[in-house]
Amino acid sequence: MDLSRRRVLGAMATGAATSACRTSPRPVTSRFVGQLAERGHRLRDGGIPPASAPTPMTASVVIVGGGAAGLSAAWRLRRAGLRDVVLLEMEPAVGGTARGGELPRSRYPMGAHYLPAPHPSFRGLRTLLGDLGVIVGPTDRPEPDYELSYVCRGPVERHRYKGRWDPGLYPTLGESDEEQAQWLRWRDHLRELDGRRGADGRRLFDLPVLGSSTELRQLDRISMATYLDQLGLDSWRLRWTVDYACRDDYGATLAQTSAFAGLHHFLSRGLEDEVDRFILTWPQGNGWLTEQLSERAELGDRLRRDTVAYAIDPDTGVVEAWDAAAGEHLRISAHTVLWSAPRFVLPRVLPRGRDRLPAGALTYSPWLVASVEVDEVPAGIGTDLAWDNVPVGADNLGYVVATHSQSLVDAHVPGTVLTYYEPLLGDDVVAERTRLLSGSLSQWTDHVLTQLDGMHPGIGRTVRAVDIARWGHAMVRPVVGHLFGEGLRQARAEVGRVIPCAADVGGLPLFEEAFAAGVRAAERALAQLGRSEATIL
Amino acid sequence: MDAEDSVSAPAEAPAIEATELHRGRSRMLLVSVLVVATCGLVYELISATMASYLLGDSVTQWSLVIGVYLSAMGLGSWLSKSIERHETERFVQIQLVIALVGGFSATMLFLGFAHLASVRPLLFSILVVVGTAVGLEIPLMMRIMRGYALKDLVARVLAFDYLGSLAASLLFPLLLLPYLGLVRTALAFGLLNAAVAGWSAAHFTPDLRRPGWIKAQVGLVAAMLGAGFVFGTEIEDFGESQLYDFPVIFSQRTPYQRLTITRWQNDIRLFINGNLQFSSTDEHRYHEALVHPVLAASVQARPEVVEGRRVLVLGGGDGLALREILAHDDVGRIDLVDLDPAMTELFSSHPMLVSLNGGAFEDPRVHVHNADAMEWLLQHRRDDGDKFDVAIVDLPDPNNFSLGKLYSNSFYRLLGTQLRDDGVGVVQSTSPYLAPRSFWCIVATLEAADLNPRPYHAHVPSFGDWGFVLIAKTPRHPPLHLVPGPTRRFLSDELMSTLFVFPADQARPDDVEVNRLNDQMLVRYYEQDLAAPLGAAGRGG
Ligand SMILES: Cc1cc2nc3c(=O)[nH]c(=O)nc-3n(C[C@H](O)[C@H](O)[C@H](O)COP(=O)(O)OP(=O)(O)OC[C@H]3O[C@@H](n4cnc5c(N)ncnc54)[C@H](O)[C@@H]3O)c2cc1C
Repeated sequence: MDLSRRRVLGAMATGAATSACRTSPRPVTSRFVGQLAERGHRLRDGGIPPASAPTPMTASVVIVGGGAAGLSAAWRLRRAGLRDVVLLEMEPAVGGTARGGELPRSRYPMGAHYLPAPHPSFRGLRTLLGDLGVIVGPTDRPEPDYELSYVCRGPVERHRYKGRWDPGLYPTLGESDEEQAQWLRWRDHLRELDGRRGADGRRLFDLPVLGSSTELRQLDRISMATYLDQLGLDSWRLRWTVDYACRDDYGATLAQTSAFAGLHHFLSRGLEDEVDRFILTWPQGNGWLTEQLSERAELGDRLRRDTVAYAIDPDTGVVEAWDAAAGEHLRISAHTVLWSAPRFVLPRVLPRGRDRLPAGALTYSPWLVASVEVDEVPAGIGTDLAWDNVPVGADNLGYVVATHSQSLVDAHVPGTVLTYYEPLLGDDVVAERTRLLSGSLSQWTDHVLTQLDGMHPGIGRTVRAVDIARWGHAMVRPVVGHLFGEGLRQARAEVGRVIPCAADVGGLPLFEEAFAAGVRAAERALAQLGRSEATIL
Repeated sequence: MDAEDSVSAPAEAPAIEATELHRGRSRMLLVSVLVVATCGLVYELISATMASYLLGDSVTQWSLVIGVYLSAMGLGSWLSKSIERHETERFVQIQLVIALVGGFSATMLFLGFAHLASVRPLLFSILVVVGTAVGLEIPLMMRIMRGYALKDLVARVLAFDYLGSLAASLLFPLLLLPYLGLVRTALAFGLLNAAVAGWSAAHFTPDLRRPGWIKAQVGLVAAMLGAGFVFGTEIEDFGESQLYDFPVIFSQRTPYQRLTITRWQNDIRLFINGNLQFSSTDEHRYHEALVHPVLAASVQARPEVVEGRRVLVLGGGDGLALREILAHDDVGRIDLVDLDPAMTELFSSHPMLVSLNGGAFEDPRVHVHNADAMEWLLQHRRDDGDKFDVAIVDLPDPNNFSLGKLYSNSFYRLLGTQLRDDGVGVVQSTSPYLAPRSFWCIVATLEAADLNPRPYHAHVPSFGDWGFVLIAKTPRHPPLHLVPGPTRRFLSDELMSTLFVFPADQARPDDVEVNRLNDQMLVRYYEQDLAAPLGAAGRGG
């Protein structure tokens, strides 16, 4: 008998052998994880207990908010040798929206899950990656060596259309000639824009976004949908793919996203064909980055978890904070305060009337993120399981697989953790937020399992646990006019000794923005302290 | 579909007033039609799928299977006229025949394929039996239900019959094949047929001549099918052991793979997951071709080393490459990285296998690490003084995405950093004849990783024409002379220069892409190559 027979039979046997027959449904343990909504709400509703005898402290710099931005600032200050820094984080763990969670089978991302390998021009981020051992060897080569265990291995993406999984994120099944022509035209259009610089010598779409050339900034005043209309691109396939990108990156639809932000997604890190475009990811997503940043910042007990900053005097630099775990009040006199918490919270801690940013100047999209531990790795008809698995035509964005790049040594451990993403896309973000926060645990669990069942019929039988994170203000939404408008400019402006520096004032909800904003603010603080250093950015 | 609604008494008066009992029965009978029709089509689909998998040329197989099956149904319908009495009893028995033959159809084909010279007669027998039986059934059913007006009866029965086909054609590709596999899908439908038989026997007991006997038959058939379903894995294992040409002398399922060893006289063979890894009759060809050229290249690069040459082996847990390396006295240390401890364990303890590799694992120069090759390299980055002279990459074929990373340009770049500047290596790279795009993709990928690839090939009868790629940190000509000393049965200086020549029909295609870690083109090429008419062999792990 020849080998092909054996191969075929082997494959068929495995197909049958993997089907465990299970009859009774098992109970699913589900819980809410992540942000403790009541802590934030205490700030809004005045629920901080009155200060009795606050513990007095001093610091050169107080950083409020231990997300990617605050930790990047702390890392930058540590690099400059400044140790007199206190970081306040209201949650029991650092990371913010880039925090990692844990289920028995694997760690998983509660929010941010990946970082694309930076464009060579983003020196600062490459320096960070070198420091964290993500880039091995020199960081200034056009194509540096990445630590391979952090590179998302192929297949990176697949999509499900008409019951079948196919590679990539553009549905080709049943594509007409006209649709194909449009797709090629769109790719050509992007290629034409890629790598071009404006008359001011800057890249057209850069990271951080505010460093982009002024040349095409008027595109911020129309929506991505209008932009595609103007190009005469009406193929639903193409529009779905671009809409998916906007929803995935910004939690916004094609019609809501500014055309500048939409194009930025495709061009800011260089087009795929032009550079070896890696995605960096870890089982706990960008939680790995924030954990590493926190370690390198070496804050020790100057990192105060469970501690909410509830009042800041921008003239004296006094920060009042409450340690909810210890029940202790702090009163920290700082030279400079870095506000790396979301910008919309700032007016609640400043003296009334000090914040000139009009309420509602920035829009935030709410997100639901659910991590689901399953006994069996899902497959589906068509191409193999990828890291990112996306259904065409659904409201949700599909799921990523925590164990995708795991060692071959662990390949025989059954099951995995799938992290499911769903932005709440309504224009009325307040109503969407209410919907998100008022849904019960069992309602959201059912919802998530139903959506997953749509991709993998019967998957419910294999589910063991569901961890649900609700992010009320997950991402700043780059709506039309957001990036280069007055609102963002004012949001970034310093208020006395307070420097706003979370990703939202950078403009786009990306790790890169958080990092750049944090580093820039830290360098500004150093200058104010008389310790000016050349920027690493 | 709500059976209740669709079968409630028709508005126009039926030929005979339907009694309660009668109505309940017809309802169930119509459900039976649905089940029978679904099962019938499922068996047909299973046979067609097996036929195109096993016999190739799917268009011919599909149309043949459909043709034979439909004509057998016609035969059945025609034969139904010769059943004049005891329709209910016959109906139940025919159900049982379908249950048994249809239910075990995939199992029989699976085993038959391993044992029979040609599987076609078996395939067509199954088709004829199932087709005839299904063809008999619909007329019988109509006769059992004769209480209804003819036009009504025909309308309902045929409607359910065709609905059942629709159900089957949707269920089969979307749910059954992926979740149950062929063997268990057939068994599951056999059980459904048996259930219909059981139900009919229970409800029409008065119509049966020997109800006890019939019910016992139902029970027996159901038990057989149920056992088949439950022991599906064992059946497949047994089936698998039947697949080998020679007696299986050892078989072990490790957490990573299934190791099987067969022996016939002096021919010992190792299979991983059913794929041949070596046959002791010609493995010397493979391992000499893998090891000797690269060691010759290393000697050419660093002739001054008389002892202490450092060699890295990735894969090769059978120790056969080690045997060839150890024959070179100038080799001082070998680090072998193989994922599966069970494999290296087996080849260092089983006397027959130890005699094959010459007790290679006993040699103090050999250091075994059971790890993921990529991780091991990442965790054991070497300083300059410590790097390897030679890297021998002997991994399973890139037949899945987890293995594909070990053939990526990033992986090769990493491997390159662990080689001395005058270091060399070799990569087993599938068959340039059977999997040409895969082979040349590996060459292109090594090129992209700046490892100056020099492809070559050798004839290994049990694999066919097999490919390797010599690599070097700095460009160099392939060696012309082998290292004197070791005894060889295959390679010689005369043969060396011919290995690097590829005939015109094996020229490098110009459109193969590099295998990058983040897209893994190679795995897709490999799938395509094997699906192509020529593709057959594979050393997939
Ligand atoms: C679901 C989701 C998926 C995402 N996916 C990606 C992705 O894949 N890639 C990517 O680059 N980006 C992604 N993002 C965006 C990314 O998370 C952010 O851009 C970035 O991590 C934001 O960091 P930040 O530090 O600016 O803000 P945050 O992460 O919001 O951190 C702010 C911190 O401040 C704390 N805080 C707030 N108020 C107070 C107070 N009064 N006192 C003390 N502490 C306070 C909060 O608890 C929080 O830890 C995602 C975001 C979400 C929600």
